[in-house]
Amino acid sequence: MKLLNKLIAGVGISTLLFATGCTGGSSETSSGSDGGSKDKVVLDYWHTYSDQEEIILNEKIKPLFEKEHPNIELKLTRMPYEGLKQQVVAGVSGGEAPDLMRMDIVWVSEFAKMGALQDLSGFEGFDEVKNSVFESPMATNLYEGKYYGVPVNTNTKIAIYNKELLEKAGYSEAPETMEQLVDASEKAVKAGAKGGIAIGGSFSWAFLPYFWSLGGTMTNEDYTKFDGYLNSPESIAAVEEIAKWQKDGLVAPTVLGGEPGTWDGMKNNEYLMIDDGPWFYSILGNEEGSKFKPEEATVSGLIPAGPGGSSSVIGGENLVTFAGSEHPEEAWTFAKWMLTDEPQRLMAEAGLIPTNKETANDPEVIQNPIVQKYVKQLETALPRTPVPQWSEIEAVINLNFEKVMRGEMDAKKALDDAAKKADSLLQQ
Amino acid sequence: MLPKVKNESDHNQQPVMTPKQKEPKKPKPSKFMKGLKQWMQVFPFLFLGLTGASVFVIYPLIKGIVMSFQDYNIMPGAESPFVGLENYAKAFSDPAFRYAVRNTFLNTVVTVPINWFLGLFFAVLINIQFVKYKITFRTLYYLPIITSWIVVAFLFRYLFADGDNGLINYLLVQVGIIEEPISWLQNQWTAMIVIWLFHIWKTVGWTVVIYLAALQGIPKELYEAASIDGANGLKAFRFVTIPMLGPITAFVIINLVMGAFNIFPQVYFITNGGPMGQTEVLQSMIYKQAFNNFNFGYSSALGVMMGLTIFLITLTQQKKLGKQRFM
Repeated sequence: MKLLNKLIAGVGISTLLFATGCTGGSSETSSGSDGGSKDKVVLDYWHTYSDQEEIILNEKIKPLFEKEHPNIELKLTRMPYEGLKQQVVAGVSGGEAPDLMRMDIVWVSEFAKMGALQDLSGFEGFDEVKNSVFESPMATNLYEGKYYGVPVNTNTKIAIYNKELLEKAGYSEAPETMEQLVDASEKAVKAGAKGGIAIGGSFSWAFLPYFWSLGGTMTNEDYTKFDGYLNSPESIAAVEEIAKWQKDGLVAPTVLGGEPGTWDGMKNNEYLMIDDGPWFYSILGNEEGSKFKPEEATVSGLIPAGPGGSSSVIGGENLVTFAGSEHPEEAWTFAKWMLTDEPQRLMAEAGLIPTNKETANDPEVIQNPIVQKYVKQLETALPRTPVPQWSEIEAVINLNFEKVMRGEMDAKKALDDAAKKADSLLQQ
Repeated sequence: MLPKVKNESDHNQQPVMTPKQKEPKKPKPSKFMKGLKQWMQVFPFLFLGLTGASVFVIYPLIKGIVMSFQDYNIMPGAESPFVGLENYAKAFSDPAFRYAVRNTFLNTVVTVPINWFLGLFFAVLINIQFVKYKITFRTLYYLPIITSWIVVAFLFRYLFADGDNGLINYLLVQVGIIEEPISWLQNQWTAMIVIWLFHIWKTVGWTVVIYLAALQGIPKELYEAASIDGANGLKAFRFVTIPMLGPITAFVIINLVMGAFNIFPQVYFITNGGPMGQTEVLQSMIYKQAFNNFNFGYSSALGVMMGLTIFLITLTQQKKLGKQRFM
């Protein structure tokens, strides 16, 4: 009997300890999400804004929104970009995802396919919002005919030239066509530059502006077929042209992951041309102790036009609501509000390009001539194929592109193979 | 690790041994009762550990095996249809998988012998009588293990950066060993060498520490007896040290093999599988399939196959280990 008592006591204590351990954790989270008062709805918002953008978010956007919508409180959480996708996956599967998130545009259809996101097309006022923003960024939210997010800010890349090397090559302005770019690169390399065209790597974000401007295409209009587009004669010619640059020594080692990096090469007068997004001048301009003045040492211009015109790649972020959110209506209220003129104007102060057409085209909003070039480039910029399988398809295309750049595969074979594999991934 | 193994074997043997020795005539039910009583006494203390192990080890293990037969969807409440062996079949037609298997095995074949040899070599060196500051050396060798993977991975990346600006390239060119700087991380085999070097540098300290402990455990009398019998240093090493280190060697080799199979940060942070997926290993492939491509079923199938392989490779060693007595 004594033994039995001991047993019961032992098990009892163990379970108690275990139970308190568990409840301790859960009570903490519940009090966190409930916030202080009960009549207020607290929206959990994950974002990846930078330091300067976050200041505007905390000090201007949040008070403004909460003043206009006194029943909603924003709980802002800045997430690290490293490993973010994995964190979102863990949050979604564990039912701990936030209400709202500002998410990279290429992730939306992938998470929509997973069933993690809320379809926004049915909400009140959706069509108005849709019509008020740029078409290409909006298209990145589409999955099977429904929209799973709204674009909150957009960006693209333009060409940035090293002033000194450009002058050595005999140009005073940024080259406007691919022929001029090739000519300038040849002269710059002859004059001792380490690289003419610094394509940032063998991945789509880096090479697509050149591929598209040289006439290449990815898919048909509704993103359902790669075969016949990715391996069309024009696409093959585009990749062959880039491979020729590589063979002639015009492309910087960065395309195969070599050193120095794009900006290091630019700062040391080693690369003639790189491409980058609108964040560069605020980041580099604010670098403490740096002698490099991006606005003085560089010349920027649109991506040089080739057979495909001047085309760049669209980046940016979409606002999405998770399917598990308890407050979808309030989350939509915030998303809708975020795309209106005033908040878009506020975020533009930090250099984020508005998606709202009216705001973006207001000359008062964007006075910086460099950012104006980005807005101009956006008119012809294209999104990376917005399909859920993109990360896998991208890996296939990147690999074959790298093989061409290394001379291990010819362009036609590489693109035929990539198109076939990409189409079979699309079927999944 | 060592004392733990010892405890476990003792614990397993006791319930069987004691009744036999004491009173063989006692009727069976009481023997059963005695066992039960012992279990009842220890159960409350085991309960927490067992719960933890089942929640955090056994359940995920079984779940992983089940997932490997499914087209798994991570969403709560979503359907995950069973697809039979499809995930396993997919692996064998996947060129990335071939690279991953090849590189994982290569890493094991290359680094385990080097690691083992260097570990033993340095341990013996430190253990030589006239070497002073033994603890300092031991700490120095152990230091790489407690440093952060990511920090050191980035250090290696900068050390082996291509062009004239990489430190290693700079030194090699200055000394005159190579004419042109090598693009270490941009070519398959040079990148593999960097990964192997990193792996060895990071793990050799563990082997040193284990062997050092084992060397200090060898009774001095054995060496005295050997020297009386006329053995010189080399002979004493061959006929005393090596046999006495036998059991530890089995343990070290198993752990080195498992460590080499579990190579992940070495690849993920240095080359991330590049160039062209040629340095990918199983662990990095499993991670990417699950968390970049959301192919949880496929990734689980890869994990199950890898687990089985490690189990089979170390099986013979494990049997040996189980039978051994650790002095």
